[in-house]
Amino acid sequence: MNFWFILAQVLGVITIAFEFTSYQIKDKSKYFLTTGIGSFFWLTMFFCMGMATGMDTQVSLMVAATYSTIRNLVFWRIFAKNTPQSKELGINFLLVMVGVALVAGTLAIINSPEQVRWLHTLGMIAALSFVIGQYLPGVHYVRVTVTLYALVVILTQTPLNILYGDFRWNIMGIAIELAKISSVAVFYLRFSKNPKQPQLQFAKP
Amino acid sequence: MYKIISDGGCDFTKEEVQKHNVDIVPFYVMLENDTYLREGVDITKEAYYKRLKEDKSLFPKTAQPSPQDYIDIYTPYLKAGRDILSLTISSKLSGTYNSATLAADMLKDEFPDRTIVVVDSLNCAVGQGLILKEIVKMRDNGYSITKTAELAKKVIETVRIYFSLDSLEYLKKGGRVGPTTALVGGILGLRPILHIVDGTVDQLDSVRGKDRVLNLIEEGVVDALKDDVQDINLSIGHILREDDAVKFKASLEASLGIQIANPVVEVGVTIGTHAGPGALAIAYCKKYETLEK
Repeated sequence: MNFWFILAQVLGVITIAFEFTSYQIKDKSKYFLTTGIGSFFWLTMFFCMGMATGMDTQVSLMVAATYSTIRNLVFWRIFAKNTPQSKELGINFLLVMVGVALVAGTLAIINSPEQVRWLHTLGMIAALSFVIGQYLPGVHYVRVTVTLYALVVILTQTPLNILYGDFRWNIMGIAIELAKISSVAVFYLRFSKNPKQPQLQFAKP
Repeated sequence: MYKIISDGGCDFTKEEVQKHNVDIVPFYVMLENDTYLREGVDITKEAYYKRLKEDKSLFPKTAQPSPQDYIDIYTPYLKAGRDILSLTISSKLSGTYNSATLAADMLKDEFPDRTIVVVDSLNCAVGQGLILKEIVKMRDNGYSITKTAELAKKVIETVRIYFSLDSLEYLKKGGRVGPTTALVGGILGLRPILHIVDGTVDQLDSVRGKDRVLNLIEEGVVDALKDDVQDINLSIGHILREDDAVKFKASLEASLGIQIANPVVEVGVTIGTHAGPGALAIAYCKKYETLEK
């Protein structure tokens, strides 16, 4: 078997580990760092797949992974600093990210075959919700929106999606998204078993 | 017996001022026409906030009491042979502590036998009010001015104060958040929760939903206080939100199983100008008796 293909699978497993871990973390800054590292391995996975099977089909995925990596790591620094200035920078960055996702999503919808336009429209809505959900306060918005996003991405990795004109299942892609969904499920299972913690942590006198 | 004096940051009602026998040095506020008005003397807090709510373009200036204001209020007590314990709003939020300290220094030569102790509350609003109440209790229980100041500093270390703001609008006007943060936060309905850390205002979190935020604050307070609720003193303040504040107090009393002795009060202009109408504040601290050991 091709070395690059095997390496891509290893990187995929590492991505799964980071993505799974990230949704167990409540602290925003640590979450963004962990998912950012996961996104970086995701990017390298696509690169290795490109080396194994040809870059043509991987370029758009590498662009998407680069977008995720940069977004997560910038948000990591913004939440770690947590100053009015960093928050202002963060919100401006978020708006740029939403704008980029909107343009890229619209182009993807326009260029997709008519039969699957609904799927790509759903994809864009889910991606936008996720980008905003990641930034919103609390632990719930990000987990609800990532579940929606992962479900839609899974659909695009199945024979439902005929974007590239073939009907292959992308097993590793599905596994990565399933890792996110299962991590959210585990998080809520842990959450329900623990004694209820208040969302706002006030200091003792 | 020494005299207790505080600036207007303590949010004492007129009744509390009389009952606890303290003097208040008011802050100044300038609404328009370049005329400074004394808070609680020339303009009531309620009138001030209504004006602020009605005129969205208005962002008033506030000013601290001057050293001369302190000299004017200290002098008669010093002449009467009394020492003074002066509590001020956090020195990191206002220059009031400087004014009070300068006045004390200036009066030292004239009254060499008298003592003026200026205590920096490192707090404001109902948080400062709680410290003042502990100081009053110590005075009434016969503690010396030195012992009171020493214990007051221990109380100050235990004070926690949280503000729920109705919007980001006034923080934007005061330059505490950027315009995009305020715009997006407004669209998303985010309500910031502020607290005071080491004397300065910091943002703890933001929450969506006007009613939800009160529930979350109540949960947070109950969690923080449940283990030693009998050892704490607690106070609630608001800005043009009395009904919600009263309901919140009743709900908190039920959750904690205690009666909160302090009345619900209107937050003063220094903090209120930056927090804006609709804000709600809660503060708590340890009673001084628990810190004596």
